[in-house]
Amino acid sequence: MKYFIFRNSTIEPFFLDNETSYSGYENISEIPEESEAFVWFYMLSFKPDAKVLVEEIASYFSKLLLVSKQIPSNKNLFIFTLNDIFDFHIINGDYSLSKAIAEYNLNIILLAEQNKNIKILDFSNFTTQYPRNQLIDWKYYFLSKMQLNPKIAVEFKCWFSGQMQAIQFKRKKCIIVDLDNTLWGGILGEDGINGIQIGGDYPGNAFLEFQKSLLELTKSGVILAVCSKNNETDVIEAWEKNPNILIKKDHLSAYRINWNNKAENVQGIVAELNIGFDSVVFIDDNPTERELVKQFFPTIETPVFPTQPYLLPIFTKELTERNFRIYSLTEEDKSKTLQYRANAERLDFQKGFADFEEYLSSLEMELQLQKANSFTISRIAQMTQKTNQFNLTTRRYTDSEIIGFIENGDLVYCVSVKDRFGDYGITGAIIIKIDKLIKSVVIDSLLFSCRILGKGIEEAFVFSIFNKLKAEGYKMIHASYLPTSKNEQVRSFYEKIGFEIVSDSINVAEAKNYIINLILNEFKIKPYFNIIEI
Amino acid sequence: MKERIKEVIKRTFDLAEVDNNISTSNCEKWDSLQHLNLVVELESEFNLSIEPEDIAEMKSFNDICRVLYKQLNP
Repeated sequence: MKYFIFRNSTIEPFFLDNETSYSGYENISEIPEESEAFVWFYMLSFKPDAKVLVEEIASYFSKLLLVSKQIPSNKNLFIFTLNDIFDFHIINGDYSLSKAIAEYNLNIILLAEQNKNIKILDFSNFTTQYPRNQLIDWKYYFLSKMQLNPKIAVEFKCWFSGQMQAIQFKRKKCIIVDLDNTLWGGILGEDGINGIQIGGDYPGNAFLEFQKSLLELTKSGVILAVCSKNNETDVIEAWEKNPNILIKKDHLSAYRINWNNKAENVQGIVAELNIGFDSVVFIDDNPTERELVKQFFPTIETPVFPTQPYLLPIFTKELTERNFRIYSLTEEDKSKTLQYRANAERLDFQKGFADFEEYLSSLEMELQLQKANSFTISRIAQMTQKTNQFNLTTRRYTDSEIIGFIENGDLVYCVSVKDRFGDYGITGAIIIKIDKLIKSVVIDSLLFSCRILGKGIEEAFVFSIFNKLKAEGYKMIHASYLPTSKNEQVRSFYEKIGFEIVSDSINVAEAKNYIINLILNEFKIKPYFNIIEI
Repeated sequence: MKERIKEVIKRTFDLAEVDNNISTSNCEKWDSLQHLNLVVELESEFNLSIEPEDIAEMKSFNDICRVLYKQLNP
């Protein structure tokens, strides 16, 4: 990503050379078009006169307002909050500066609430890690107007890229956690249901807080699974009889409690939940187990578990910041745990039918087609960021870029899916580039969330869109498949639904291009789908 | 010590080779901003603090050696 940074001090050591360019100090006259994203990083300067500073802060905001109006809505503007890293007060009880800073920060938050392309970076999240005398090195301040100590530049770069990742949703999806000495103290098989340490005095209280934190994570969409060497009946009995255990069967989307090796069990859980290994964090107090899992599945995150339970809060904080930090929650995230669990029930239900079609028709599936609008743009962008497997082109887009498509007259549709077991929410999207002049139609992106695959929903959705295009007089649709390490499962999707290959190569790493004639083909949708357009 | 200084210059300016004659006048990458980066790196490498007056004087490899030598052997 190429950033252009509006700044009022020397900050070059804090960003990567090859992806950053800068405004002059306090210069807002130039807004380079070629930049992919903009950053507003003004820092408080050092002035003994609070009155002057207060005015300066007000002028920063008016400048920012001017700039924000000129940045195209399809490009992001990241705004740093303002922090008083000097804390220089001559008069005790003079809060004018604190008030001005608070007002500035409130104003930028309001600005971000009104504009989807504007995001806030909480600078205090970085600065509070350091004592005041490490944040600034006065030598560099006076030599070069550097308001941050260049000795913490490396840490700043890490922090900044972490924040950017959080904004771009590279978040893990699942925690697989051990039980003995991890979710509680002691060993269930030896200490018994009432002998394990959970709740009450130390260390039980530390484990209890850890369980609470994990539960809080599930509320933000993280799914939880247990992998433990124990007798399953013992654990189930403990869940039933020990009232201090908070995380019980109902909170788990899957579990493996047996004496098999953990690599095998982890693989089973990952397959059951239909997620990728790289979206899993494996938590286990035993370093041998962590090593085993890491050996088999190097993309799984296996954080070092603290040997002292009183260090669990630090562990939890790092776990969250490294793997589960998100920018803002969508409704989909919050109910994801429920949906994964409903999926498991659906699998059971599947067993009792004569054939698969009968099963599908019993599901009473309802597909709601929806043109992208202000309520769905975030979710569509989020899906382009997160979906790896059923994703034909794997193009990643931000909210603003999706808005760009719509403004350009292209078609952006999403589909939300319901069946008798529950509401999956928005789980698929298509972006179709349209050239009205030459009546040319190209599928730019097509993707579905894994949790709805295997029911023909993909085909039904695509066909409904094709029928609309056909009705509008379009004749041909172009499409392509761009291979990645994760989307092998859709290598032949377009062939299956009737496309012809235009260019194909023996080299599996190359793109495949397709075309389909809308007039010569019929797109019949299975009768058990109830398709609604809203 | 000279070799360690050279390593720091190489790393900071991202150069393949550094010889004894390198200076601000013959090295394109050695601009005022990189100069400060170099000072930061030297300060960390040798665990010392270089005074602004000295920073201004350090315009070549030989200058750096002289300034650091003076600091480390008072």
